[in-house]
Amino acid sequence: MEQNKEMTAQESLALITETMNNNRKDIVRSSGKYFVLWGILLTVFSLLVFTLWKTTGKAVWNNLWFALPAIGYPLARWIKIKDAAPRAENYISRINGGIWGSFGVFACSIALFTVLYSLLGDSQLTAIVLGATLTAQIVLLFGIAETISGIVLKNWTIKIAGWITGIGGLAIFYIAQAEAEQLFIFTFAGIVLAATGLIVKQQYK
Amino acid sequence: MFPKLDPLLHSELRLAVMSILAGVDEADFTYLKRQTGATSGNLSVQIDKLTTAGYITMEKGFKGKMPRTTCRITPAGQEAFGKYVEALKEYLSASK
Repeated sequence: MEQNKEMTAQESLALITETMNNNRKDIVRSSGKYFVLWGILLTVFSLLVFTLWKTTGKAVWNNLWFALPAIGYPLARWIKIKDAAPRAENYISRINGGIWGSFGVFACSIALFTVLYSLLGDSQLTAIVLGATLTAQIVLLFGIAETISGIVLKNWTIKIAGWITGIGGLAIFYIAQAEAEQLFIFTFAGIVLAATGLIVKQQYK
Repeated sequence: MFPKLDPLLHSELRLAVMSILAGVDEADFTYLKRQTGATSGNLSVQIDKLTTAGYITMEKGFKGKMPRTTCRITPAGQEAFGKYVEALKEYLSASK
């Protein structure tokens, strides 16, 4: 790029448009690695909780889910700091971070509320209903977060992955009605999320 | 009568730098270098010109142990960039 090149008005506008588009692509591409990270963590935790629950027969292993954000957020922060590639921050990357941060807070709140109610609540039926629908509530929140993320980043792959996760997860919830429903749903959501991250990284390579 | 195009912005590399900074909170020198494809020396000279004009600010710091230069657009830079784009639009609509 030369500093003294004489540009026409069209060339100037084309340069501004191209530069801004490249910026947006860069931000979408860098979000891909976080999708992969959370997708892998979700899949691993899903398999781990299910295995421990099945082998010991104790539902208390579900509390391990609270370790997911405790490990995931510092890991994501570490990746951001260690990232050697030069980067820029703008309101899109901030909003995207905010969407997933909000998802984490609400998902943990629902889970915590369910645990506390099952321990302290006076209605056993309410506790059972809360516990039984917990997976569906979280996967729906997950799908919404992913879809909004796709809208903000203007990326159809992420939007479609959000629909697949939310609607597909609910479909599994209603159809499966099995003991392993949580495993199916969260492993499915984790794989979709990691695959989305890989596709996005490929799209803007 | 068409508005005069800001000569400081009507240069390929400076315009590219301003276009990047107009859409972000801040950007590394290395990010600007990668996005524009310019050489370090050339980019430094143009950034200095934009800084002197008060269109951007430059801050030197560290990322871990590595030195890091961060650039940000100023309100004056945003205004100049907005006026430049408006002027371009007027030129283009008049030529249609």
